[in-house]
Amino acid sequence: MNAHVKIFLVGVLGVTLVLVALFVAVYGADSGAILRDVAGRTPLLLSGSADFSAFEGGFAANIVISLWAMALAAVAGTALGVGMISQSAVIRGPSVLVMNLLRNSPWLVVLYAMLYLLPFEVRIFGRFIEISPMIKATIGLALPVTANIAEVFRGGVESVPTGQWESARALGYRRLQILRRVVVPQAIPIMTPNLMTTYAMLFIGSSLVVVTGTHDVLSVARTVIASDGDHVATAVYLYILYLFFLFCFPIAILTRWLEQRVRVRK
Amino acid sequence: MTQVQPSAPLIELRDVHKSFGSIEVLKGVSMSVRDGGVVCIIGPSGSGKSTILRCINGLITIDRGTVRVGSFAVETLTKDKHLVPLRHEVAMVFQQYNLFPHRTVLQNLTMAPVQVLGEKPAVVRERALALLAKVRLTGKENAYPGELSGGQQQRVAIARALAMQPRVILFDEVTAALDPEMVSEVLNVIRELAREGMTCVLVTHEMRFAQEVADEIFFTDKGVIVEHGPPARLFKSPNDPRLKAFLDKVL
Repeated sequence: MNAHVKIFLVGVLGVTLVLVALFVAVYGADSGAILRDVAGRTPLLLSGSADFSAFEGGFAANIVISLWAMALAAVAGTALGVGMISQSAVIRGPSVLVMNLLRNSPWLVVLYAMLYLLPFEVRIFGRFIEISPMIKATIGLALPVTANIAEVFRGGVESVPTGQWESARALGYRRLQILRRVVVPQAIPIMTPNLMTTYAMLFIGSSLVVVTGTHDVLSVARTVIASDGDHVATAVYLYILYLFFLFCFPIAILTRWLEQRVRVRK
Repeated sequence: MTQVQPSAPLIELRDVHKSFGSIEVLKGVSMSVRDGGVVCIIGPSGSGKSTILRCINGLITIDRGTVRVGSFAVETLTKDKHLVPLRHEVAMVFQQYNLFPHRTVLQNLTMAPVQVLGEKPAVVRERALALLAKVRLTGKENAYPGELSGGQQQRVAIARALAMQPRVILFDEVTAALDPEMVSEVLNVIRELAREGMTCVLVTHEMRFAQEVADEIFFTDKGVIVEHGPPARLFKSPNDPRLKAFLDKVL
C-alpha cells in the first residue's frame, strides 16, 4: 500500500496546487476576498442547507443519488448478466439486446427520457406516490450503469476456468447453484476493481442530474451564482471540481491497489 | 447386497455416437462394467477416452445409442434436475483436480453433500474427516487448495468424490498433470479403493498401473473400441495391429 499512499498524497497535493494557481490566475488581487465569499457558501454547496441542518441537496444529494443508483444497477445488472450467459437463446437474446441498448445510450439522453417517460406520480394500492426528480434522476443514472455492471459480471464469470463448471456439475450442482456457490464467489475479486471504476464513473455522471430539477451540487451552485453575482462563477465551479476530485481520487487509488492485489494472488 | 444377477453390469454403453461440430469423436462405442469392477481405458490422445467418461455421468449428451448406469438411462436425462440422482451415484476426478479454490479442503468435501444432496452438515463433516484420514491428509482440513501440492490436491479431489458416497468413480487422467514424484501417492489411494470393491473407470497413461489394478482394459482408437480384455492377455498378446503399435510406443 505504501507506493499507493505516495501516489495519493502527490496527487492530492498536485491537483490542489494546480487549482489554486488557476484560481489566483483568474482573480489576481481579489483572490482573498473571493475565496472568503465562496468558502462561506460551503454548507450550502455540501448539504443544500445554509447551516448543515439538513443533507437533502448539494454534494450530499450527489452522493445519495449515486449510491442508490449503484445499488439499483448492481441488482439489475447482475440479473441482466445472468440472462446474458443463459443457455436458453430466448433469455440470452433479449438480455444482450437490452444491454447493448443501455450501454450505447448517452447518459444525458436517458436522464431527459426519464423526465418525460416516468409519470409525476404513481398510484399504488389506491395511494398516490410522488415520483420526485431525485427518484427519476436515480433511475436515469442506474440504467446505463446496469449495462456496465452486466458486462463486468459476464467478464468476471467468464474469467473463472471452465473446469470449475465441469467439476461442480459432476457433483450434482445445477446452473444457478454453480453461479452462486462456485463461480461468482471466485469472480468477485476480479470484478471488484471494475465495479469501483464503474462507481467512480457513475459518481462523476451524477453531476448530470441537474437537468431533472434535482437540488444537486450544480443546481445549488447556480443559485449561489445568481445571488452572489457572475464574478464568483469560476471560483464556485473550481470548488465543485475539487469536491468531485476529492471524492473520486481515493476510489481510483483503492481500485489500483485492489487490482494489484488480485494480480499478486493469482 | 447378494449378487443374484451376476450377468447384469452396473454400467453399459451401447453403440454410443458423439460429434462435436463436424468431428465425430465416438463412432459406436459399446462397453460394460460390472459392479465392483475396475476398468481402464487406454489409447492415443484424441481417441475419445475422456469423452466416454463424460457420457457415463451425463456431462455431455450423446447423439445416438444408450448409456445405462444402474437403473438410470443416462441419455434420457436432459434436465439438470434429473441428473442429480445420477451424479450422486457417479463421481468424477479430473486431470486438473478442479477443486474449489475459494473453499477450504474440508469445505470442498462437505459442500456438495450438504448443498446438493441436502444431508446434515454434522454427519457430512464426520464422513469428510474420515475420508481425509483415508487419503492421508488429516491436518489439512483448513488449508486452501492453493496451499497444497498437486498430489495432495488430487487426493482431496478423490476424497471429495468419495464424500458423495458414489457407486462408481470416473478417473480422467488423474496423474497426467502431476510431477512424477507425486504420481504414486495418488495411485496408492486409487489402488486401495479398487481393492475395497469400488467400481472404477479410469482413463490413464500409466500402463503398469492399469496392468496391475484393472480386471479389464479397453483400447480405443479414432472413436471406437478396437480391442478389450483382461490386462494379462491384452498386454502380452495383443491381436490388433493398432494396439500392438500403441503398446510398442508406450511400454
